[in-house]
Amino acid sequence: MIDISNLSFGYSNKHLLYKNLSLSIQNGNIYGLLGKNGAGKSTLLKNIAGILFPTDGNVTVDEMNPKRRNPSFLRTVYYIPEEVYVPALTIKQYLSLFAVFYPNFNVEQLHKYLKELEVEVPGKLNALSFGQQKKFIIAFGLACNTKVILMDEPTNGLDIPSKSQFRKLIASVMTEERIIFISTHQTRDLENLIDQVIIVDNGQLLLHASIEEISQKLYFETVSVIPANNKILYRENDLKGTSIVRENLTGEDSRINLEYLFNGVTAEPQLTKEIFQNN
Amino acid sequence: MNDTFNITRFGWLFRKSILERPTLILGSIAATMAITFLCYAFVQATIGVERAQVVSFMAGFFIGGSLMASSVFNYFSSNASGSSFLMLPASHFEKWLCGILTAGVLFTLIFLGFYRVIDIFFVNHYRNGLDPNSPGYQNLYHSVDVFAFDNRIAQRIYLMYVNVGATMLLGSLYFKKVSYIKVALIICTFVGCTYLLNLVFITFLFKHVDAANPFDHVFLKVGNEVGLIGLPYPLDNAFHILSLYIVPAILLLVAYLRLTEKEF
Repeated sequence: MIDISNLSFGYSNKHLLYKNLSLSIQNGNIYGLLGKNGAGKSTLLKNIAGILFPTDGNVTVDEMNPKRRNPSFLRTVYYIPEEVYVPALTIKQYLSLFAVFYPNFNVEQLHKYLKELEVEVPGKLNALSFGQQKKFIIAFGLACNTKVILMDEPTNGLDIPSKSQFRKLIASVMTEERIIFISTHQTRDLENLIDQVIIVDNGQLLLHASIEEISQKLYFETVSVIPANNKILYRENDLKGTSIVRENLTGEDSRINLEYLFNGVTAEPQLTKEIFQNN
Repeated sequence: MNDTFNITRFGWLFRKSILERPTLILGSIAATMAITFLCYAFVQATIGVERAQVVSFMAGFFIGGSLMASSVFNYFSSNASGSSFLMLPASHFEKWLCGILTAGVLFTLIFLGFYRVIDIFFVNHYRNGLDPNSPGYQNLYHSVDVFAFDNRIAQRIYLMYVNVGATMLLGSLYFKKVSYIKVALIICTFVGCTYLLNLVFITFLFKHVDAANPFDHVFLKVGNEVGLIGLPYPLDNAFHILSLYIVPAILLLVAYLRLTEKEF
């Protein structure tokens, strides 16, 4: 479990990016951290990973303090940054130098994941394209079988088929013990994958809800006439009519559109709060 | 596993730090060897073997060693490699020790080994070039011997190296890009300022000052006569201990603290 309690963080003391952010992240879930560019998604991930330190407040991962970067903590968390680092090594050399640090690393799994992501490494890893390098690191990170996997914009640099393969792979490796935490500004890449949504903007936590809860509280539909007497979180005209996100008053299910949800929540944070606070 | 030090994990880390970037580590060593060899060859051909021994030892050990010291933590030149290094499951102490062993012990052993080989080669070359029938053969033969690693000059160079090496290592944890050049500039500025301040201070105390090396000797020149004022033994010894042990230890300790506090 990751517990973030009253986290304040700023790159300068004058301007805090996060102020008193509290968040509890439970095992067995895939979290999607959504935010605009510069909203602080990477910063939050780095605070969890222990490569940035909170100005105030606490972050704990399985009751360990990331700031100490103890080996026992680092064996628990695998962090995949937006830009990945691969040295000029063959896959065999890379495994012999890096995999030993992860006690639960599984080489068969790695090869399986590489196959699923269609990564072939004929020579040295740094000779691969950026997307292939990223897929290799994703496969390696998953094969390390750490309890927590933090991914910062993992689909950046991946082509369209790879994004789909990525979603399938992430869904297949999920266990009850694991936490997969993915930050992205490309909401469509996470559709049908995540089961918890976190939306941050201007250092504020605007939404933290499960897909189930979102489905209960919001209704996504395309209409020709905007319904009256209903709280409309977001509307967007398209060819078929007007796509809206409104408060779900009937309890009907609808297909969640993460992009509309994100746009609605960031545009109407107060209304979001009202809708999600109502029981 | 212990969270501070585990010998197996340290072994993995040490192996990784050498083999992960063979071009950088082995390249630095190869460049050092080339500089040392060329320096030795050039100076012995122009000035003589004795000077060549000192110049090449200093150039190779000093330049190569400081280059190595600045490169052991150069993961921080990019976000990707920096976060990869910080997130690797090894303790700060192990990462720090690994850097010190690479730059301080491994490099030194390789350099001294290499230096001894080329020194023997050049000294033998010099001796073989002498005419055994010339009257001064014995004197010339014995005037050059292999460079002793425990002589006063070597000790001075070790002293300079531990200080500059430790500064380079620390600097690489502060500067993201071209840390070697930035730290070299800082060191040059510091040495230059210290020298000038020392000279100004000494000229207030003595007349006819010719040269004044900080924490060392003052040369006085009156006409053609040159006098030398040295620090009294206790002070000289204190300075020696300070510069050989205490200052490098402080620099390395600060480097360790910086590593533990490093954010990326």
